[in-house]
Amino acid sequence: MNALEINKVSKIYKNNFKALHDVDFRIMQGDFVGLLGVNGAGKTTLISSIAGINRFDGQIKVMGHDVITDVVKAKFNLGVVPQEIAFDPFLTVYQTLWFQSGLYGVTNNKSWLEEILAGMHLEDKAYANTRSLSGGMKRRLMVAQALVHKPPVIILDEPTAGVDVEIRKNLWDFISKLHKDGHTILLTTHYLEEVEKLCNQIIMIDKGKIIAKSSKSDLIAKSSGLPTILEIETYEGRFPDSLRHLLVSSDNDRYLLNLQSNDEILAILNELNNAGIKIENMNINKPKLEDIFLKYLGR
Amino acid sequence: MPFFALIKKEVYRFSSIWVQTVLGPLSTALLYQLIFGSQFSVINTGLENISYSMFLIPGLVMMQILLNSFGNSSSSLIQSKYTGNIIFVLMAPVTAFSMYSAYLVASVIRGLLVGAAVLLGIVWFGSFHFEHVWAIIFYAVMGAAITGGLGMIIGIWSEKFDQLAGFQSFIMVPLIYLSGIFYNIQNLGQFWRKLAMLDPFLYIVDGFRYGFIGHANFDIVTGVIFVAIFALVINFIGIILLKRGINIKH
Repeated sequence: MNALEINKVSKIYKNNFKALHDVDFRIMQGDFVGLLGVNGAGKTTLISSIAGINRFDGQIKVMGHDVITDVVKAKFNLGVVPQEIAFDPFLTVYQTLWFQSGLYGVTNNKSWLEEILAGMHLEDKAYANTRSLSGGMKRRLMVAQALVHKPPVIILDEPTAGVDVEIRKNLWDFISKLHKDGHTILLTTHYLEEVEKLCNQIIMIDKGKIIAKSSKSDLIAKSSGLPTILEIETYEGRFPDSLRHLLVSSDNDRYLLNLQSNDEILAILNELNNAGIKIENMNINKPKLEDIFLKYLGR
Repeated sequence: MPFFALIKKEVYRFSSIWVQTVLGPLSTALLYQLIFGSQFSVINTGLENISYSMFLIPGLVMMQILLNSFGNSSSSLIQSKYTGNIIFVLMAPVTAFSMYSAYLVASVIRGLLVGAAVLLGIVWFGSFHFEHVWAIIFYAVMGAAITGGLGMIIGIWSEKFDQLAGFQSFIMVPLIYLSGIFYNIQNLGQFWRKLAMLDPFLYIVDGFRYGFIGHANFDIVTGVIFVAIFALVINFIGIILLKRGINIKH
């Protein structure tokens, strides 16, 4: 079943800026999807349209429910973490989650709220006013708010911006657990290593248009034009002339070689051995998602 | 139900700042009563056996009901828009009708609570009766629903705090102050009386006062119909604006 259906969605703002052009894709239930795009590409406009905050042309369905004609069911199946930090200054952290649960008609969910608070490392702030929280804490509270009703589809719009490394790891552990439990997740982030590690599907958007949609493995496989780099560090700083045609750059005893295929590695090692050059360190650097993303952007 | 959850949240919001939302209006009403009720007690109301203090008290109570009901919905909406937390209501499975109704009910609750507090606070300054309890309840609820609805409309439409402040200072407050709270409009000259009769709040104050003193300047049945239609029209406009997401959805 499709968790999310985006059918030819376009969005033109009042100032005639066309933020989305016929965006069209599906996300299967259980997928963990990375939505990638530079600032202003249309990611947040698309998410706001799915969340029912933006007007748009086209059709969006969440778990089969149209977000315009079947709005209540669609929203009940969706949890969105917005990009901009927002909080109710009159409430404590726990009250925020309790009232938010009420808006989804959920009651008697104390143990789940406590689990979310622990997952977001906010349990010691449960009775603190939201005004006293740091930026990172407020962002984690927003993640918690999106989860109060255990939505099958979760959209996270840059949830880790301003969150420190340790807490970010804990947050991803919690989100990964939700994914394993069957939740469908759509994530936008500028930390591409997070997408590379967590997501199984990638969607790329640029200037309001989808420029790529594929599984992560297919996307990497399709990136044949991008080089694999062999990084070699030698003891003596010597380098055989016969391999200089593969050299991309060098820095003291460190050499970066361009590989067309992994079969070349053995030949390179033989060549180094024949020249009597000992290797101190060696790495094979495959194309990263960032390289693939930049390739698709044509930048 | 989301509707009741939103009402609870809104009631919690204004009750958590009760010094501002309840004590403040009570203090203002007490000052008016002290200055006008005590010092100008010789003013002739033009009504037999009705002292100025008996005339003034219902007006002061209604003034606070109208102002506080307006203030609750308008300030809550514009604050939520300004801080961005309105997004959590918009993203929840709450229909525009439920959202509007919940904000309106919370505004009416605040208006009635403040009205009751003001009545209890100033009741000691003059003797009065409850001549027609139905009229007191009807006009209090309708008055709060009308200004609560106006607060919704202005809260939805306003993009800046000064738009809200402008409406409140230059339209709401003059209309309420000139609606016969402090004086009997029958004592005005013909021109001013006809002008005053264009003020819709006049009929709310007149009907509410009728509940206390048993005397109304206008036909009470006409007043009930007018006020009920006025409340329906204002809130119908408010629901349409919210449903369309005017200045809320982009």
